[in-house]
Amino acid sequence: MTQATTTADPDDLIFDVQDVTLRFGGVTSLQNVSLQMRRGEILAVIGPNGAGKTSLFNSLTGVYTPQEGQILLRARPGDQPVSVLGQKTHVVNHLGVARTFQNIRLFPALTALENVKVGVETRQKSGPVSAMLGLPWQRREERESTSQAYALLDRVGLAGRANELAGSLPYGEQRRLEIARALGTDPGVILLDEPAAGTNPAEKQELAALIKQVNHDGVGVLLIEHDMKLVMSVADRIVVLNFGSRIAEGTPEQIQRDPAVVAAYLGTSEEEAVAELDTHDQPELHVIDTSGGVTGAGSAGGPATGEEQA
Amino acid sequence: MNRRVSLPPWVGRLLACLGGSVVLAMMVGKQQGSKDDYGLAFREAVLNPRIFYFLLVGVLVFLGITYQDVVRRYAGRPGVRPLLAGVLILLASYFLMKWYDPLGDGKLATFGAAVTSTPAVAPVARIFFGWLWWVGLLVTAAATAAAIVWRLRWLAWASAAVSVLVGAIAVAAHSLAVSFAGGIDHSFGAQTALIGNLVLAGAGVVAAMSRVETARTREFVERVMAFRPGLPLVAMGVVLGVLALVAATWFDPGGKNLTLVDTQHLFAGSALSGVASAYLAWLGYAVFAVVVVLAATAVWTAQKTLGYVAAGGAVVAILVTLATLHDISATATKAGYPGSAGEWQNLGTGGWVLCIALFSAGAGGLIAARRAPVIAPEPALARGSGALGRLHQVGTSTTLLSLTLFGVGLALFYPPTATAFWQQALVTDIGVYVLLAIGLNVVIGWAGLLDLGYIAFYALGSYTTAYFTGSLPVQPPIHLSPLWAIPVAIAVCLIAGVVLGGPTLRLRGDYLAIVTLGFGEIIRIIAVNNPGDFTNGPRGVARAVPHPVIDLGFIRFEWGGSQLQYWYLLLVLLALVFLLFWRLEGSRLGRAWAAVREDEVAAQATGVNTTRVKLLAFAIGASTSGLAGVFFASQVGYFNPQNFILNNSILVVAFVVFGGMGSLTGAIAGAAVLTWLPDFLRDQVPSEDRIMWIGAVLIVMMIFRPAGLIPARRRKAELTGLAGHDPSVDQDLRAVPAGEGV
Repeated sequence: MTQATTTADPDDLIFDVQDVTLRFGGVTSLQNVSLQMRRGEILAVIGPNGAGKTSLFNSLTGVYTPQEGQILLRARPGDQPVSVLGQKTHVVNHLGVARTFQNIRLFPALTALENVKVGVETRQKSGPVSAMLGLPWQRREERESTSQAYALLDRVGLAGRANELAGSLPYGEQRRLEIARALGTDPGVILLDEPAAGTNPAEKQELAALIKQVNHDGVGVLLIEHDMKLVMSVADRIVVLNFGSRIAEGTPEQIQRDPAVVAAYLGTSEEEAVAELDTHDQPELHVIDTSGGVTGAGSAGGPATGEEQA
Repeated sequence: MNRRVSLPPWVGRLLACLGGSVVLAMMVGKQQGSKDDYGLAFREAVLNPRIFYFLLVGVLVFLGITYQDVVRRYAGRPGVRPLLAGVLILLASYFLMKWYDPLGDGKLATFGAAVTSTPAVAPVARIFFGWLWWVGLLVTAAATAAAIVWRLRWLAWASAAVSVLVGAIAVAAHSLAVSFAGGIDHSFGAQTALIGNLVLAGAGVVAAMSRVETARTREFVERVMAFRPGLPLVAMGVVLGVLALVAATWFDPGGKNLTLVDTQHLFAGSALSGVASAYLAWLGYAVFAVVVVLAATAVWTAQKTLGYVAAGGAVVAILVTLATLHDISATATKAGYPGSAGEWQNLGTGGWVLCIALFSAGAGGLIAARRAPVIAPEPALARGSGALGRLHQVGTSTTLLSLTLFGVGLALFYPPTATAFWQQALVTDIGVYVLLAIGLNVVIGWAGLLDLGYIAFYALGSYTTAYFTGSLPVQPPIHLSPLWAIPVAIAVCLIAGVVLGGPTLRLRGDYLAIVTLGFGEIIRIIAVNNPGDFTNGPRGVARAVPHPVIDLGFIRFEWGGSQLQYWYLLLVLLALVFLLFWRLEGSRLGRAWAAVREDEVAAQATGVNTTRVKLLAFAIGASTSGLAGVFFASQVGYFNPQNFILNNSILVVAFVVFGGMGSLTGAIAGAAVLTWLPDFLRDQVPSEDRIMWIGAVLIVMMIFRPAGLIPARRRKAELTGLAGHDPSVDQDLRAVPAGEGV
């Protein structure tokens, strides 16, 4: 809990993922994936469609239980490492892992404020009896959760929308509301699954600022994103997945220069990718159409089927 | 190569409308054939010339749909809605309501025929029952419609005046005819006709006064309510109170129908207590006047303190009235007055209606006090419980609050004036099922779990009560009074809910419904099979379950004297459960339920322990059912497994859905309406057809108002389409519902 612990242990890892393999029947969605997420960093996971990014997220949050490997979690400074495998989703959340979804999953018939309050209130204690009787501590908790939720909405820039139904908010605001709800659970690390999907350039800029701000406030950010511009601008490190395996890891500059990554995105062999890298001084991954090329192969179809089983 | 013969769309529409008319024709009237002619009823429905009336209705509907552009242009005009409402009320009063109880079926046709064939009746009555009732309806309705369509203000005023006149004549003719005929009459036909005529007159006035093209009914109502919140309640109180003080019966030993003044004369010089005799002489008028003036001033000046004072005054006035009513009946019985049947007996409607009036006025004062303009801080960050407040504010607009309070007044003081049949129906059918619906609303409406075995917990509560009161063959270790059995039964049902829910709540939707359905049947069949001679099998309990007793040593009260006592016990239980659940809805558990219902995966990822939350919903719903079971067992005394069949589970589900899933007031309204309807229809349609009509009501309701009678705000948002408000939101980009992948 103390700052001393953090500084005393520079290799304090939030996630320590060792050789995780996740299969759905005969389809292997993740193959011996290892990654380390350090405290205080923004780590991005990229890869073509069907590479297993969301499967990785679901494994980290307890939705899926990988057959092999080990995932150790130490969400908040000073925590003992806990294995995520086999834990229920809400338990993993209580351990300090919050997440958003690729396709927004708010509670659309609740107001924006209520959405965030649901998150905040999972950390509260009062039960049904005290709620029915309106006991003092329940009222106090109610007030606390409301003011915390307002503060969070303010933080993501939705304070003026507090009493609107979540489902009636514009798309970009729904994305931010989902982040606010996730932050409401007071996480040590937040997993963002394609937070920029479907947002316009202006919203992307706001989002990048928000992600940096959240990270600055001491919450680790694990990010899945297709928008390379956003990834390159916010991420401290990047892990690249393809066909369920980790093919590269490094700083944004390293990743941009990695032939294997370029090959995966172009759907070509590494030699051609090297040639491509030679012709351009500054290859720009973000201009490559990430939604097209590499999804056609049978092995890429596998993880997608797996995801639908959820 | 693929040539399809396509008819113009209007052909199909016409056929559908005519087909609908034939179905309606078959529904109206008996459905059964005779022993040797199965098709009798069918031919009577279809081949009788009356089929043309129904076909005409079908053609009208067809024309309305086909030319809906034209119709809609006029239908939006101010006054159309009250016109339709007035005509419907009048039709109901003429063809559904009773006009004179002692005579045959008591309908207008029968009574009218008798009146017109008796030359000695006053001519006003003979004219009204002869032709004025239908001529008046036709003329006023047609004139108002014409005034609306052609914007003839003079015609609108004229038809409004005629409507009021016809209404007044209806009441006068009825009372003349009844006083001529004698006999005890509690019918409401004439009063309903008066109301219908007044609504028609209102339509005329609206049409004459308005200057706008389209009516904005909701806005209008809100504006009226916002003008002086509480004013309609106070006005209602004044009207009812004046009627009660001047015209209504206060005491009727042996059908004497004495008004307040008559009652005072009757008790002059009797052993009546000081307060009561003062009440009859002047105090009654005085307290009513004081309460009304206080409430009206509070409403008009919007003063908080004065509003509360008015409400307090109303409570005192009601207590004094009740004391007087008790004194009247007790004194008359003690003095052996002929026809007096005991305390609280022989009281007419007057005292109770005055209580309703006082309650209404007091409620108006209360609303004025609560809605009094306060310099509110900015609601956003300043006020802590903003969200909670908002949820319930939306649910309780001033209109709804006024209606609810008036409903409470009716629930408190109407039942004593009802007939024994309706008192029985109120307790055994309506009240118990309202309690069940409130409980099931937690499970279905809030947590979104379809429970088809809900009645099993009701059975558990009933049998637990029977066991602990020693009514089963197996004797308990300790005997409990039914009131003491309440906590035990609640605990048993809580445990049963957890035991059933624990393994099954990981199932979703349909699967859960099947499991709960099975559970319901298992409990019933166990009760039938009588294991270990515990339940006494299909015969039901061995000895009657005793009535509840409160025995505090110095005061002892035992239920069972009349259904009314049970009604008030039920009201207390209902109020308690309502209050507790109302708080629950706005609490963190209520929000967690909504989250689980909306998107279980997202709720889990947000840290909601969905299993625990669902289990709580199940257990809380089950314990409410158990509470209802205790009440039921001790009220009826004898019961058997037949009381807990699957059909009853389904009925409760229907009540919740009909009333509006997830809405507390909706669950109450749904259960009340749907349990009241069969008893109401008992007099209106052949008894075998009642369920068919209820089915028709359900179908129409679900088509035209799928969110229920009083929709919950959260549920309404789900049904009306979320992105609908904002055109910039792409429909495809909405949050996906649960079960469509992570």
